[in-house]
Amino acid sequence: MFKRKVNLWHVLLILIVLMAILPILFMISNSFKTLQDSYSSMLSLIPKNPTIDNFLTLNRQVNLLGLTWNTFLMATIVTLGKLLTGLLTAYAFRSYQFRGKMLIYLLFVATIFVPFTIVMIPNYLVIAKLDLLNNVVGVALPQLCDATGIMIFLKTMEKIPNSLIDAAHIDQIPNRKIFFNIVIPILKPSIVSVGAIFFINSWNEYVWPTLILKDKGSFTLPLALQNYISSEGGTNFPLAMALSTIMIILPLLIYLIFQKYILNSISNSGLK
Amino acid sequence: MLNKNNKILPFVYLLPTAILLTIFMIIPILYTFYLSFFDWNLIAPTKEFVGLKNYIEVFTDPVNQKVILNTLIYIIFLVILNFVIPYFISLIVKFFISKMQGTYKVLFFIPSLFSLVVGAMIFTWILNPVSGPLAYILKAIGLTMPNWSNSGILAITVICLITNWKVFGYNFILLLTGLGSIPKNIIDAARIDGIPKWRLVWNVILPMNRGIAIYVLILTIVQGLQYVFTPINVITTGGPYYGSSNVIYQTYLNAFVLYKTGTSSALAITTFLIFLILLFLEIKFVESRDKDYV
Repeated sequence: MFKRKVNLWHVLLILIVLMAILPILFMISNSFKTLQDSYSSMLSLIPKNPTIDNFLTLNRQVNLLGLTWNTFLMATIVTLGKLLTGLLTAYAFRSYQFRGKMLIYLLFVATIFVPFTIVMIPNYLVIAKLDLLNNVVGVALPQLCDATGIMIFLKTMEKIPNSLIDAAHIDQIPNRKIFFNIVIPILKPSIVSVGAIFFINSWNEYVWPTLILKDKGSFTLPLALQNYISSEGGTNFPLAMALSTIMIILPLLIYLIFQKYILNSISNSGLK
Repeated sequence: MLNKNNKILPFVYLLPTAILLTIFMIIPILYTFYLSFFDWNLIAPTKEFVGLKNYIEVFTDPVNQKVILNTLIYIIFLVILNFVIPYFISLIVKFFISKMQGTYKVLFFIPSLFSLVVGAMIFTWILNPVSGPLAYILKAIGLTMPNWSNSGILAITVICLITNWKVFGYNFILLLTGLGSIPKNIIDAARIDGIPKWRLVWNVILPMNRGIAIYVLILTIVQGLQYVFTPINVITTGGPYYGSSNVIYQTYLNAFVLYKTGTSSALAITTFLIFLILLFLEIKFVESRDKDYV
């Protein structure tokens, strides 16, 4: 048992890790560099003259607190909506036999295959009619349910033993109580992780918000960041990177705390 | 045992989802289908019925033809970058190394946490042909960086690389999970018989993992074509001369920049029909037979 040769595959895998992580490290580093240093010491990860000027400049140019609040509010509404509809739908599938079940299930699968382009014009018109343009509520409203969430919850609920639910039925516990006092507590880990995924995705969302939010006061962080990127090459990168650094703090924190649950839920969403 | 007595309650639970799906998905799809037979500009009080004209335009207009060709190029690049490579790496991590599997999983996933706008911004910095770090390194070894934003195909490559940076870890985890659910005794039996590892992968593992692989492959196409919207809009806005636009982006341009809702809707319906074929394949190969309601 002495053949402990170095496994060369690790070289390739570490290279991939570097490609994944280095851009982020450089981004954080650049956000603490002066514009001058960002060019003169481009390949160094440690800023020569560390400065928080970029963040101060940003704070003068945009309303950082307002942007963060808009993004947070939108992501929170979307997350709560998706969790609630997802849990209720999965519970109906878990606990009842009804006509058209298979058809409705396939309909949910099908929603994953609906390109956003096919709903964007009508949904834009509806949001405009509701006078919710330039309002994060208008961004959130059309996306309060999500098929992936339904599927993950369904998979977790299927693991709850039938005997437990049956016992509750025999004890004449009303359905509402079974749902809130038995099913929800058992599902807590997957609610937390699916919620975390929903929140992060919504926090980062770009496409639909660009259609609804035109007024700068209503912008979310990704839209504000886009304003700092110029395709003609005139981007002030330290500034854009400072804004990005602010943007990634919350998703990174959520990942640090719930990493194990999040990865488990993603695995679950793929298990067929 | 499922509760079969209550006929109304399950539909009460389904109601919120049903209402939302009806208002924001089913009716919109029908309305877009309706709009695809009209000329309209999003504002005018009247719409002009034009029959199939918009659909004919989808396939005969030179810009649309170019965009459809670009879409095919996108699909090829996305499949290679976001499916084939993560699949290869997940096989390596599962069967060819014995340590650090968990660590790679955690680290590979990190870029998935960040917005594609952030990704697009970082990569325009890294790949800036004049002042970016890659151009700097290339210059040091005597090479010049091509001005990729002037070439459609190079812009498409860069845009696909940006989405690859974001979704690699996600797809990697899905595929790795699939590989993990293959019964270990099958792999052990093959090992005892002395079958070479690559042979084992090709003849046993890949066929057994077909379900999830097809699922990730189809998702790579369906979501990938939509993911690239963000870097396209942030970096190239479809240029040079529609060279990096795809069918999704063109649908958006027609609706909200050119105000041609008819063409936009016809493009959207066409995209949807293609996605429906993929959905059919997904149901056929992936949605497993052991679910009692499928």
